[in-house]
Amino acid sequence: MALEYLPIMAQNSAPKPPRVLVSPSKPAWCPIAKPVSESRVALLSSAALRLAHQTPFIPREDSSYRRVPSDPGAGEIIIDHHSGIGKVPKQDPEIVFPRTAMARLAEKGTIGALAPFHFSFMGGLREHTKIENVLAPAIVNDLKQAQVDLALLVPY
Amino acid sequence: MIGTAHDIMSKVTSPRAAFVDHPVGRTFGPPHDRPRNEIVLAKALAEVPYFARAGEIHNLGCDWSPDGSRAWEDDLRAEMSHDR
Repeated sequence: MALEYLPIMAQNSAPKPPRVLVSPSKPAWCPIAKPVSESRVALLSSAALRLAHQTPFIPREDSSYRRVPSDPGAGEIIIDHHSGIGKVPKQDPEIVFPRTAMARLAEKGTIGALAPFHFSFMGGLREHTKIENVLAPAIVNDLKQAQVDLALLVPY
Repeated sequence: MIGTAHDIMSKVTSPRAAFVDHPVGRTFGPPHDRPRNEIVLAKALAEVPYFARAGEIHNLGCDWSPDGSRAWEDDLRAEMSHDR
């Protein structure tokens, strides 16, 4: 049976009230237009990660995002997210942001192509309306411009 | 979406959700295990065509411990307590 995280999070955040989980106000379903092997794929990460030379995220309510080059050789990944679970992924960001594995799957033809950029933002924001109305549409616009067919979100 | 927190994933309606039974913060495996990173990612991508509607959560069959041990849960609880 899968570990239940909500009770742990509620216990750890007490006496503050537990975090409110919110689903999108509109159904988020888009049919798959192409096989994965013909699709251009991007990663979306809520780890607030970036390259070293990019502007750091500001804990805790930073609603900006970063375009992170999909080339694994583009530079070291920094994780700015404040979560206590960050100790391990900060040793190796690939375990939450598999940039190298995605590039390997592109080489093997498992995916059609890498998007030029992956995207990251701060997870755990409490301004849900801003996420839905500002942050998400901005990222969607970038994904469309890059002709991305498939985006894989990795929550942090 | 690919995630490790099944209870949270079940409360937010994502278009397609793939579950891996790993500790949170290690979605694609232990640090520096590139083969495992690739296996988990490939499984998630292979699952994409099999979703029929929003809200489904598909288990990718990725367990953290080869022997099925869940001892990692106690370690993770301690780690998460530093998140206070």
